[in-house]
Amino acid sequence: MSLKVTIKRWNAVARWTWGDHVDGDVCGICQMPFEGCPPGVKFPGDGAPVVWGKCAHAFHLQCISQWLTSKNSCPICRREWEFESSQGGPPVSFFLLFQPTTHSFR
Amino acid sequence: MADKGRIKKELTELSRDTKSGVTVEVKSEDMHELEGTISGPEGTPYEGGTYVITISIPRGYPFEPPKMKFLTKIWHPNISSQTGAICLDILKDQWSPALTIKTALLSLQALLCSPEPEDPQDAQVATMYKQDPAKFRQTAKFWTETYAQKSDGESAAISRLVEMGFSRDRAVAALAQAGGDETEAVNKLLSS
Ligand SMILES: [Zn+2]
Ligand SMILES: [Zn+2]
Repeated sequence: MSLKVTIKRWNAVARWTWGDHVDGDVCGICQMPFEGCPPGVKFPGDGAPVVWGKCAHAFHLQCISQWLTSKNSCPICRREWEFESSQGGPPVSFFLLFQPTTHSFR
Repeated sequence: MADKGRIKKELTELSRDTKSGVTVEVKSEDMHELEGTISGPEGTPYEGGTYVITISIPRGYPFEPPKMKFLTKIWHPNISSQTGAICLDILKDQWSPALTIKTALLSLQALLCSPEPEDPQDAQVATMYKQDPAKFRQTAKFWTETYAQKSDGESAAISRLVEMGFSRDRAVAALAQAGGDETEAVNKLLSS
């Protein structure tokens, strides 16, 4: 038996975000949303870039930089901190929501 | 300067949390002096007790750990029976800014469940824990009843010692030292 899904219609939804694997959408250090500002920064976006470690945990650049002056480890998983150099993709990602409206079994 | 926004956020979340058995109260206007409580975990000699923890938020928070100390007296290998100082790695070199006041308090609760006698704060307690577990439990339980429970009248043993002419403070201290053993407490009081 095989399942056949026919997509009759899909809605594309665009959402401003820094990437697609941001854990819980808040910075693990200042606990402010990534779309917001870490302490001392007035405008979201350019002033408060989000950076990833090789462990895939993300923080505001300002927040992780301050922590790295005392310890070279990820605050969440405690692995040695290494910046992910290929911060893949543009800051805007598109989430395509496919909404199958009918399906048939064959 | 400590991150006030984060402290505020933590306090708001804590005030909404009624399930985890920890509470935090603000003690100073700048929100740097706090007082937490944890309840003694079930199945431990601390069950039924409520422990008050003083919390001081350093200027470098959350990059530096909060300073915590037991205000309520407790008999535990990793907590000083004299000063309430705590030996717990996450409050020292294992702190991470991803931890919070709440997770630190929950770690203290976990410490009450599983003492680490190999890394003691109070050598006397740790020795008793390793060499005489039954006496350790009895003493810890007595300290819970004496210091960590809302007093609805004194224990009969304290009253009897006071009737014998010892001051209340000395009677309590002697009983605590003796793990609640009245005869041993009397001997201690008579020999000192
Ligand atoms: Zn941040
Ligand atoms: Zn990590």
